[in-house]
Amino acid sequence: MSLVKTSMLDIVINLYKYKLKAYKQVFMSLIFIQLLAVLFSFNGVGMMGSSTESIEIDVQFYSADLVITFTILWAFITAILITTSAYKNDDFAFVTNRLSSNLSNMVFLLTASIVGGITAMLSTSLMKIIMYLFGGHGHIAANLSLSEVVLGYSSTILYILLFSGLGYFIGTLVQVSRIFVAVIPGIFIGAGILGAGSRGFEWVKSIYQFIFTEPSILLFVLKVLVIVGLLFTGSIALSNRMEVR
Amino acid sequence: MRVIECNGLTKVYGRAKALNNLSFTIEENKITGLIGRNGAGKSTLLKIIAGFLRETSGEIKVFSEKPFNNLMVSANVIYIDDQMNFPTALTLKEILNVCPTFYEKWNHELAGRLFDYFSFQSAHYYNDLSKGMKSTFNMIVGLCARCALTMFDEPTTGMDAAVRKDFYRALLKDYISYPRTILLSSHHLNEVEDLLEDILLLKGGREYLHMPIGELKEWAIGIQGLTGKINEWAENKEVIYTKNIGLDRTYAVVRNTLSDTEAQQAKTSGLSLTPVSSSDVCVYLTSKTKGGIDDVFSED
Repeated sequence: MSLVKTSMLDIVINLYKYKLKAYKQVFMSLIFIQLLAVLFSFNGVGMMGSSTESIEIDVQFYSADLVITFTILWAFITAILITTSAYKNDDFAFVTNRLSSNLSNMVFLLTASIVGGITAMLSTSLMKIIMYLFGGHGHIAANLSLSEVVLGYSSTILYILLFSGLGYFIGTLVQVSRIFVAVIPGIFIGAGILGAGSRGFEWVKSIYQFIFTEPSILLFVLKVLVIVGLLFTGSIALSNRMEVR
Repeated sequence: MRVIECNGLTKVYGRAKALNNLSFTIEENKITGLIGRNGAGKSTLLKIIAGFLRETSGEIKVFSEKPFNNLMVSANVIYIDDQMNFPTALTLKEILNVCPTFYEKWNHELAGRLFDYFSFQSAHYYNDLSKGMKSTFNMIVGLCARCALTMFDEPTTGMDAAVRKDFYRALLKDYISYPRTILLSSHHLNEVEDLLEDILLLKGGREYLHMPIGELKEWAIGIQGLTGKINEWAENKEVIYTKNIGLDRTYAVVRNTLSDTEAQQAKTSGLSLTPVSSSDVCVYLTSKTKGGIDDVFSED
């Protein structure tokens, strides 16, 4: 009898490839949710009008922001979903340990974030085309420089990654103890209410500002990557002693 | 080589001890039957060996390594039970195609032939299968993975008689062509006993017997005769089971330590000796009372 030797890297790559196939519903739901968001976006984000005696101007603003928001939500929910035991036990039907299972999930989430980010940004083009075909009269679209495009794509991907990391961490917490099913929404809602201006809870606002209002792109990238790294490391540490099946 | 070494293994769930100071070793390339009543700790033991569960105390080594969270153990062990999870998005054929990427020794040709023999449809999904079909599919995966340690936990759940027979035959044939260590837990010892080399009997989370199956067949002997005679005869013997037959006769099972003269004596005093099947021995040994369910209904 000879024993099979394996390396962590091989197993993670195998699991990752397998997940791209096995989790294809994740990408189906992405398509669905983005189309839904595009549909909602045609409601417009604002309007402006002015008129003189002979001219009347109506301006409608459209934006694909909603698509990004929906995609972020999708990433968050997907990340929670793949921490559930149904998905985790699938891994353990094959060769894995907890670390390789987690690592392959993270690479998968990174992939999902990139795909989600790119498609979310591309939905702008879809909107322009639909506008062109079915819209009213006269369209003006912002012309972006290359650096703005790169900035847009990368920050979108990073936001999606950030929320998938958060979802993964929360999902892992819930796997550790069911108590968190109630505690975590409590914390979020509570922080939302308190952060809206109560004294002594300025930290809620500062957390928000720390992440979402960073003017320097480099610093922003660094911050997001560090936070995501911490969330993933935390998830690995929490789940590494967990029993399965 | 020792495949499994287990020393003082204990597993506690809440307040219940599923495994209680269990010690045994399993040698390479043997088919061992894991026998025990419901709740004896069979599944818990197998899941600890597979590295899914963590032992509470004691020592367990699989291929000389601790199994929990161990990649090497995971790559060389497969654990098949009736609660297997397979990805819901993949068809049966796709699942089989994923397996060789994980299991180096996977026999894809055999998998394909078994798949066709049991008339699975490539485009079907695992979750749409019936219970018996799921078990059959799991069995295909378990066999074809050809892991050095293959564990089947109640593999025949839901299978019909014909498929059960096929399964045992397939297991034996593949074992002969590719010997490996197999642990098979089952409630139907009479079905699997021809397959097994060794038997490991668990009772209350402890090892109760661990011996070759041949020895188990001669481990006990049944004796029948008038109640008074039986009681007299069995006085200083290890009785594991008694049953009243009619008004004045008794059937008793005692541990087979009889010498030839003792057997002769029994015959001359009108008692008849009969062999006891190994599955009956297991039932008697693991029951909590000597009279079995009859004790519950007897009012005195």
